[in-house]
Amino acid sequence: MDETVAEYIRRTVLKIPRDEIKMMLQKWGFLSEAQLQTLNFHQIKDNISQEVVQLCEENAADIKQAAVLDIIYNHTYQNKRMWSVYQMRKTGEELEYFDLTDFKKKFKRRLQSALKNVTITFREYEDDAIWIRVAWGTPYRQPNQYKPSYVVYHSQTPYVFISASVLKSNLPLLCQALIVASNYHDIREMELRSHSLNSLKDIVFKRYSQNFHTYCPKPPQARAVEPGSVDLRIINENRSEKERIQRLNQEAFGDGPQPILQFAQYKLETMFKSSPEMDVLDKKEPFRCLVKFSSPHLLESLKSLAPAGMADAPLSPLLTCIPQKARNYFRIREKKGFFPESFVSP
Amino acid sequence: FPGAGVLAQLEKLEARARREAVEQEEREQREERTALLRSRARELRLRRDELRRKLREKEGLRKAGTAADPAHPTPRDVLEWRIRSLRALLQLFHLTGISGKLSKRGVCLTLSTSYEGSHLDSFHLELLARPELRIQRHSIPPFIPLEQLSRRFLPTDLRRFLALLSQHLNAYVGRRFQAEQFQERFSDWIQGTPQRNSLCNLLKFSYSLSRNSRSFPLQARLLYRDPCRSLPTEVTVCCSGEWAPL
Repeated sequence: MDETVAEYIRRTVLKIPRDEIKMMLQKWGFLSEAQLQTLNFHQIKDNISQEVVQLCEENAADIKQAAVLDIIYNHTYQNKRMWSVYQMRKTGEELEYFDLTDFKKKFKRRLQSALKNVTITFREYEDDAIWIRVAWGTPYRQPNQYKPSYVVYHSQTPYVFISASVLKSNLPLLCQALIVASNYHDIREMELRSHSLNSLKDIVFKRYSQNFHTYCPKPPQARAVEPGSVDLRIINENRSEKERIQRLNQEAFGDGPQPILQFAQYKLETMFKSSPEMDVLDKKEPFRCLVKFSSPHLLESLKSLAPAGMADAPLSPLLTCIPQKARNYFRIREKKGFFPESFVSP
Repeated sequence: FPGAGVLAQLEKLEARARREAVEQEEREQREERTALLRSRARELRLRRDELRRKLREKEGLRKAGTAADPAHPTPRDVLEWRIRSLRALLQLFHLTGISGKLSKRGVCLTLSTSYEGSHLDSFHLELLARPELRIQRHSIPPFIPLEQLSRRFLPTDLRRFLALLSQHLNAYVGRRFQAEQFQERFSDWIQGTPQRNSLCNLLKFSYSLSRNSRSFPLQARLLYRDPCRSLPTEVTVCCSGEWAPL
């Protein structure tokens, strides 16, 4: 077994928390049950990883198998990475019979024809998600396994989720291979980024709970129960105001759990507006300003602003439109053209 | 001292007079209050008699068995009947698969899907009415060609748009349901995991049949060319490799 492969497997195992190592090796399926039985998972991780490498040596692992272990690790801890969403566009309107084998073949062929030294690994999951791992090299160097890019694609959808490696220069090549393999025409990056891959999927696949007005009766547990005091001596003075805020909040955010986003960024390119006497700037040029909201769960915290009394209801549509517009990076210009979008073919 | 005696006498007389005046006042007040209470008691008695009379009347009516007078239903009965029939109507609409609710600026439609008696997913579509019919927001999955359909049929032919969209959704949900049931019920026969896609319009799986102590590995490929139907249009079965003995 190659030295580099051994080292890579060792380092990958070291990343895994000790309690999860056994489960992940089982998912990997490269080591037999008997071999796994011989491992002592209670010793220090250094020793565990050494033993795993020895077993892999026995089974003559190569980089392909090691890459599969890496995909499994990154799929389990997908929220550690930052994911961006890309949207593809096609000109034709024919129905697609997406064939996975066909897709994989086309993708590999396109990439490998442009760059010989790449490691490409595929793994499919139950929710129809196709995970692709690409390790990049150069014409003269072997692929760097420690900085791969990950792509998640659901067939027959125009959306691709990419967690690019630091080497941004390979992105155009990756995008090319994706549109060729999936039969699309061009691709552009959306202004939507988050650590939570599932939340990004929820937003673009419209799986998050939107507040649609229907005649279907809501299940009784959907009604929020007033916690605590039913003491009749306590009168809620602002009951009608609280109910108004609750109603507006529900209209804006819906009932269910919000997609998990970490940031909302607003780049202002507007003119500074002040009274004529306070002419702060000599030249009338746009006041460049960047407003960034960050939170472990941004939408949930925005939802709780008005009920907590920290903001007036209804909230600004700039904040509430985030899932609907599927973006959390905005550029605010002067008069018209609030949210610019542009399709660019690579 | 004769003067002291007279003064004392006068004081005594004054005190007595005052006392008697106070008592007189109290007596008058008491009498007034009594009179007030008596009249109030009389009033209450009259009221009680009136209420008793009304109650007797009502009971009399019910006992007589003329409670539900069909010619004169009570307003409450009418309201209850209206609520019941409206609920039934809404449920009927819901069962047709396409139901809706008018909103301030348009209409919010619910497309419910089903397959062979099983109720499956519901999808929503909010349409704006002005300046022309267009989609405001929706919960349709991205692999359904919503944009295509809306471009061709909205805003002119809403009925056709909804019918086609409903067919697409029902067919997709039906195909998916069948694939899931297939995987569940025939899990012993299938080898590996069946390969399908998001729209479930291509299904590939391997299975094996055994005959005369020989097993034949087979591969099937189901293609569903019609997006509005949940049955395949092409089925290819091929036998791979050599015939391996059991």
